[in-house]
Amino acid sequence: MSIRSLLTEDVIVSEMTARDKKSALAELCDRLAEQRSDLDRARMVSVLLDRERLGSTGIGHGIAIPHGKLPEIEGLVTGFGRSREGVDFASMDDCPAHLFFVLFAPTAASRVHLDALALISRILQNPDVRSELMEASGPDNILEVIEKAEKSLE
Amino acid sequence: MFEQEPAPTALLFAVFGILMGLSALFSRAAQRIGIPVVLVFLVIGMVAGTEGVTGYSFDDFGFAFRIGMAALVLILFDGGLNTPMMSVRQGVRPAAILATLGVVGTALIVAAAAYLLGFGWPEALLIGAIVSSTDAAAVFSLLRGSNIFLKRKVGVTLEIESGSNDPMAVILTISLASAAAGGDGISWWLIMEVVTQLGVGAVLGIAFGHGGRWLLSRARLEAGGLYPVLTLALALLAFGVPTLFLGSGFLAVYIAAVIMGNGPIPYRSGLLRVHDSIAWMSQITMFLVLGLLVTPAKLIEVAWVGVLLALVLAFLARPLVVLLTLLPFRYPMREIGYIGWVGLRGAVPIILATFPVLMGVDGSDTLFHVVCAMVIVNTLIPGATVRWLTRRMGLTSDEPPPPPAVLEIQSTQILDGEIKSYYINEASAACDARIADLPFPKGSLAILLVRGKQLLGPGGDTILKPGDHLYVFFRPEHLPFIGLLFGRSEDD
Repeated sequence: MSIRSLLTEDVIVSEMTARDKKSALAELCDRLAEQRSDLDRARMVSVLLDRERLGSTGIGHGIAIPHGKLPEIEGLVTGFGRSREGVDFASMDDCPAHLFFVLFAPTAASRVHLDALALISRILQNPDVRSELMEASGPDNILEVIEKAEKSLE
Repeated sequence: MFEQEPAPTALLFAVFGILMGLSALFSRAAQRIGIPVVLVFLVIGMVAGTEGVTGYSFDDFGFAFRIGMAALVLILFDGGLNTPMMSVRQGVRPAAILATLGVVGTALIVAAAAYLLGFGWPEALLIGAIVSSTDAAAVFSLLRGSNIFLKRKVGVTLEIESGSNDPMAVILTISLASAAAGGDGISWWLIMEVVTQLGVGAVLGIAFGHGGRWLLSRARLEAGGLYPVLTLALALLAFGVPTLFLGSGFLAVYIAAVIMGNGPIPYRSGLLRVHDSIAWMSQITMFLVLGLLVTPAKLIEVAWVGVLLALVLAFLARPLVVLLTLLPFRYPMREIGYIGWVGLRGAVPIILATFPVLMGVDGSDTLFHVVCAMVIVNTLIPGATVRWLTRRMGLTSDEPPPPPAVLEIQSTQILDGEIKSYYINEASAACDARIADLPFPKGSLAILLVRGKQLLGPGGDTILKPGDHLYVFFRPEHLPFIGLLFGRSEDD
């Protein structure tokens, strides 16, 4: 599996404007829904919120990986967002979240879903990757950082 | 035949044993019909008291005061130990305002009502101060003991408020009672006194909390049973020392307990259970002893005043004060209404009411019974309606039901590994997954699956279903990732 191959420049929000959890999720889903006409924006947000209710997906170090299942998709759908100011995401370490990977998986593909979550969190575990993502100039640069980080894991 | 020791002691133990046993046994029945448990303890004490069935006469206000203080310290300590730091961060600001300005506001409104009912200002103000704080014991036992799963923010505000507002009521009452007994007016020094008490209490509470935390993580004791002895000693110290230095011991003991409870504690579950048990015992003893002090005939005599004042408190003072304090914090109206209604009073007012009696304030016996009547009405009117109201207002949280079995590591050492249980919800990524497909970090393991009443050893092919409780063993540094897979653990 490769996270880089699931991303395009169009699904990267390099300067997020949202400051709270709900609008951050909405901002990320807006971007995905613009690219994919088959996706229902409101449902995506509500699926993510359902998951957040079980406990924040903000896993600390400024990272959040909101995720959920959608029955209508065939493969993984993912997007990326960056907020320089930070979003109050009720993260596990109580610090604001800056880097967001949003992930949707088909309902029947729990294995792929879980593997993608593990891979994304491994990529972001590296502090250098996190600071490079924060400093990246724009979507193209962000993709490069992710590609490089993923290669170094292999 | 009962005059020579050990007979009198034996008789006392037997009587108290019966009363305590009855209290414990009745608590279940009381909960089923929705009467607050504490009221049952109080009534049992009253029935057994002065003119009651046993004819056992008890009017030692000094002894009751001391028992009450001890019980309160232990209840606050237990409450603090169980307060997660996350809740404190969420609720501390609104709760702090409620616990200071809110207490004063409530006291003044009740005092005005008491004045209108014919009390002089000194007594009226005393009554107001005595009933001004919500009761930690009543709120804790209501929120934790009756399977109400309140929305986090509402529950947190109520708990922290009740844990931290007794100091204010104590300070006000003691100062007002001293003024009334000495015949002095109430001076502006009162404000200075309040500030000093809260300041010293907070600082020393933080100091004891960190000191205790340090001690607990370093001390290696001979037996597991000695750890609660150490924490108990810390609780007594955290109350005693600040009080001697003109600080509020109640505030200090609560703060110290919150800090200690959020640190690493050896033998944690065992220790918390001991304190839980001590808190229950304190509660029963305290209410029984206070019940013994009440003279039913006198209570009936002043009942109408007590009822009227309790109604003012429940329908006017508390809701108004909560509204004014919480509006700036942008709580939804529904939650403000709820917090305003659930301002439970409990033992604290009754303990405080013994204080003017001890000081020899004129008419303090009447005052004591008015306060008792107020507390009884208060536990019934907001108290008995709380469960119903919580459901009715949709303030129950979506938190999952607790698992029917609990698995935990017991150790007197602080270990490098945790077992936590996770509730499998449809929205979590792990739902419908095979155990073998869970991308566990190295060294983590699914060790037990609880499905309904079944305990299953989770094999690789076992598929997680909604409603399962899964116990996972992992290293502490993997907590965030495990949380990403399942959501918040059930212990948090």
